[in-house]
Amino acid sequence: MGFEELMKDLEERKTKALGMGGPEKLAKRKAEGVLNARERLDYLIDDGSFIESGLLAKAIRPEVRHKSPADGKIAGLGRINNREVAVVSNDFTVLGASSSSINMKKIRHMKKISIQRGIPLILLGESSGARMPDRMGAAGRATMGQDPTEYMRMREAPMVSALLGDCYGSSTWYTCMSDFTVMRKGATMAVASSRVTSIAINQPVDPEELGGWKLHTEITGFVDVAVNTDEEAMKVIKDFLSYLPGNYNEAPPKYPVPLETNDRSEKILEIFPEQKNQVYDVRDIIKCIVDQDSFFELKQRFGKSIVTSFARLDGKSVGIIANNPKFKGGAIDVDAMRKATSFLVLCDSYNIPLVFLADQPGFLVGVTGEKQGAPGRIINWLNALTLCTVPKMLVIMRKDYGQAYLNMGGGQNSDEVILWPMAELGFMDPSVGVNVLYKVTEKDDPIRFKQLQDELARDTSAWDLAGLYEGHMVIDPRQTRATLIRLMEIYRKGMNNGVGKHLMRNWPTSY
Amino acid sequence: MALIEVKAETTGMVWKIGVKLGDRVSEDDTMITMESMKMEVPLLAPEDGTVKEILVKEEDPISEGDVAIILEV
Repeated sequence: MGFEELMKDLEERKTKALGMGGPEKLAKRKAEGVLNARERLDYLIDDGSFIESGLLAKAIRPEVRHKSPADGKIAGLGRINNREVAVVSNDFTVLGASSSSINMKKIRHMKKISIQRGIPLILLGESSGARMPDRMGAAGRATMGQDPTEYMRMREAPMVSALLGDCYGSSTWYTCMSDFTVMRKGATMAVASSRVTSIAINQPVDPEELGGWKLHTEITGFVDVAVNTDEEAMKVIKDFLSYLPGNYNEAPPKYPVPLETNDRSEKILEIFPEQKNQVYDVRDIIKCIVDQDSFFELKQRFGKSIVTSFARLDGKSVGIIANNPKFKGGAIDVDAMRKATSFLVLCDSYNIPLVFLADQPGFLVGVTGEKQGAPGRIINWLNALTLCTVPKMLVIMRKDYGQAYLNMGGGQNSDEVILWPMAELGFMDPSVGVNVLYKVTEKDDPIRFKQLQDELARDTSAWDLAGLYEGHMVIDPRQTRATLIRLMEIYRKGMNNGVGKHLMRNWPTSY
Repeated sequence: MALIEVKAETTGMVWKIGVKLGDRVSEDDTMITMESMKMEVPLLAPEDGTVKEILVKEEDPISEGDVAIILEV
C-alpha cells in the first residue's frame, strides 16, 4: 500500500473512532440534554490543547471489536487554564463505557503520567461497570489486579472525579480515591446498579435512594459539589483546580485581586450579631475577609456546622475551616469532624495554608454521635491537624469551648492565634457549667445560679487569653483580612518555598 | 408531591414557631427557632415546600431526631 493510501486509511480509522457509538446514540443523549464524552472534553480542556491517547484502541474480544471505538474510554492530555492535565472521559455510547483490559490500560497510563510528570488527573465518570463476559470466571479474574498500584494514592498530583451518569465499577472506585468529586443531579454512584442490587436482594431498589446526589452530598459525603448540568460540572472542576498546584511539589498559583475586595471588611460588624445567643451564617463573614468571588465551598450539604472552603487572600489560595453557628448552633457533629479532617489532608497535601475561624460551643454530645464513633473521629482530626506542615492561622471570633478548642487550632495546634474582642474561652458555656459542676439550676435557685455563673464567666475573655500569651494578638474584626494577609506573607514561603512535608500523603481517601 | 419529616438536629426547647399551616417555604428558611446550648438555633427547611403539619408547640422540649414539621415538597 502506497503512503497516500496508508494516510487515507489512517484518516478513515480516526474518523470512525471519533464517531463514538454512532449518530443514533449521540442524538439520544442530545435529546436528554446530556453532553457526550467528547463534548465534555470540549468544555473542560483549553481549545486546541488536547492530544488523544488511544483513539484507535479497541476491545480485546473480536466479536465486539467493530463497535468499540477507543474501547469506550477517551484518554488524553490537554490544558486547563494553560496548565497541563491528564484526562479520561467515559464514552457511555460505546459498550456502556464498561471497563475492560484495554481501556483500563489507558487509565493506568494516564495515572502514570499524572504521577510521574506531576499533573492533575481528571476522570469523567459514567460507566456500566465491568465488561461482560470478559470478567467472568477465572479468566476474568486474570484481567483484574494486574497493577498493584491501581488503588494506591500518594497524592503526588490532584485527582478529580466527575459523576455524570450511572457510575458503577471503576467510576465508583476512582471517585472514592479522588481529592474532589462533582456530581450531576440524576447521576448515580453505588457498588452495583439498582437492577443488579434488586436481583441480588430480591427487593426493588430506587436508584436515587441507592446512590443519588442527595445521598452522596448529605449522608456519605463522597460528593463535594452537586450541579444541574454537565457544563456546570466542567466549570466546577476548573474552579477547583484553580486553587491547587499542578502537583505536590509546587505552591498554588496566584491570581489577581478584584478591586472591589477592600470595601468588604467594613461589613463584618454589621453582619456579626451583638447578642451572643444569636446565630449567623459564617459564610457571610468569610466573604468579607477573602478576595471577592474567591469563596469555593466543598461539602456544603454535609456536616453543615463546619464550613470547609477554598478562598484567596491577596490572590493566594487558603483553606478555611470555620464553625457555622447557623447549623446546630455551631456544635460539631461526627459528619463535621470527618469533613474537617478530610479537608485538612487535602490542603496540607497540596501546600495550601489553613485559616480556622472558631465560634463553637463544643462537640455535639449524645448517643447518635457515640454510635458513629465520635471519640475516634475527634482523634483522627487532631492527628491530622498535628501532622499539618502548612501554615495554620486561628481566628477566635466568639466562643471556643471544650476539647474542640484544640481541634479548631487552639493551643499549639496553629502557628498564630488571633482573637476578636468578643472571644469567650472556657470548658463550656458558664450557664451550662453551673449545673454540671455544682448541680444548681436557674429554676431552683436563681440567686445562687447567677453568682456561680458570674464566677465561671471570670477569666473567659479575649483579654484573659491574650494576657496569658495564648492568643498572640487581639484585633478589630475589620482588620482580619489585613492581619491574615500580613501573617501569610511571613509564613507562606517557609523554608521550602511554600512546599510542605506532606506527612499525610497516604492518609486514607475514604473513612 | 411527597411528604418529608423535618427533624430537630439538636436537643433543646421550641422557642418560636415562625410558620403556620399552609405556608410556602424555601430551602434554608427558618421555620422554628429552638433554644439549644444557650443559642437560638434555627430549624431550617431542607428544601422548598409547603408546611403540612406542625407537631410541636412553643416551650415544648425537643430531642435530636424528633419530627417537628411535615413538609410537602
